[in-house]
Amino acid sequence: MNALFFLIIVISLGILTVVAPDSVLSIMIDGGKSALDLSLKMIAIYSVWLAVLKLVEKTELDKKITSLFEPIVSFLYKDENKKAKAYITMNMTANLLGMGSAATPLGIKAINTMNRDLDKDTATPNMIMFFVLNATSLQLIPATVIALRAAAGSAAPADILIPNIITSVVSALSGFAFVKIISYLKRKRKTKAS
Amino acid sequence: MANFILPFLIIALFVYAAIKRIKIYDSFIEGIKDALKLVYSVFPYLAAIFIMVNLFRISGLGAFVTRILEKPLSLIGIPPELTELIILRPFSGNGSLLLLEDIYKAHSPDSYIARAASVVVGSSDTAFYIAAVYFAESKIIKLRYAIPAALLANVVGFITACLLCRYM
Repeated sequence: MNALFFLIIVISLGILTVVAPDSVLSIMIDGGKSALDLSLKMIAIYSVWLAVLKLVEKTELDKKITSLFEPIVSFLYKDENKKAKAYITMNMTANLLGMGSAATPLGIKAINTMNRDLDKDTATPNMIMFFVLNATSLQLIPATVIALRAAAGSAAPADILIPNIITSVVSALSGFAFVKIISYLKRKRKTKAS
Repeated sequence: MANFILPFLIIALFVYAAIKRIKIYDSFIEGIKDALKLVYSVFPYLAAIFIMVNLFRISGLGAFVTRILEKPLSLIGIPPELTELIILRPFSGNGSLLLLEDIYKAHSPDSYIARAASVVVGSSDTAFYIAAVYFAESKIIKLRYAIPAALLANVVGFITACLLCRYM
């Protein structure tokens, strides 16, 4: 991430210095402003969802929700603690229901509570699996996209549903496979080295 | 029908919490405090990414990278009209939705390009943004192979989307 950040910023700034040096500062500040706008929206949305979540936790309903997907969650995330599994399950549920705004705070809480390695600042294979599956989108019904298509005057805005579901499953499966393969190769190299 | 589910669930939760004699108002406030803390720890990552994306796009570097990648991407079945969308997708959710609307305007929303673009957006997520947000509060900074694995899985999804939309 550090190398990528450096490259993109330096090259972009290099181009802008030649093309439009006056606009550099305002472009960067605009970036910060979009982050601020989004953060304000996030505070509003998360206030609602995390307040509801607090009630779910206090009533211990989260433990009941966890049992819903227990086999699949235990299969995907070996040796994970109970609390983290509860957040993972709720994140999955919110994603499947198409409530992306509720899924994100639950995802953050899941990562926060997952077991750590000896190196405390390093992501564990479970965390990486969780992140990759989220990045390939667990959402089965792309409500926003369908709404945009309808607004653009599509004759059948929802006809992308089946290809979308198949694509989601394919990319989630390949994400799962990549994480498993890479972590297997890394382990093998480690045992060879020692 | 679906409109009724959410309010109903929230009412059910409140009633259930009241039966369990939980201090509802106090817990509600606690949850909102969590929201503030969370956004506080996420903001620096958001700002850094957005500043980077803005420079990337407005400097023309984005368009340049798009032109370079058009050829190799078309070899794996991704039409050139979608290259820009695919490059922007891992960085910015709003940005890719705006681009999707542009594609709907340029081609009809029922054309192959528009449908493939819809599935590309609908079946993927913003990997860099999620990485920044999910790991922000936990202070985990070494993500190891997380981002490459996610991007690779996304590319497999993009190829699948472009292929499926030809036939479905």
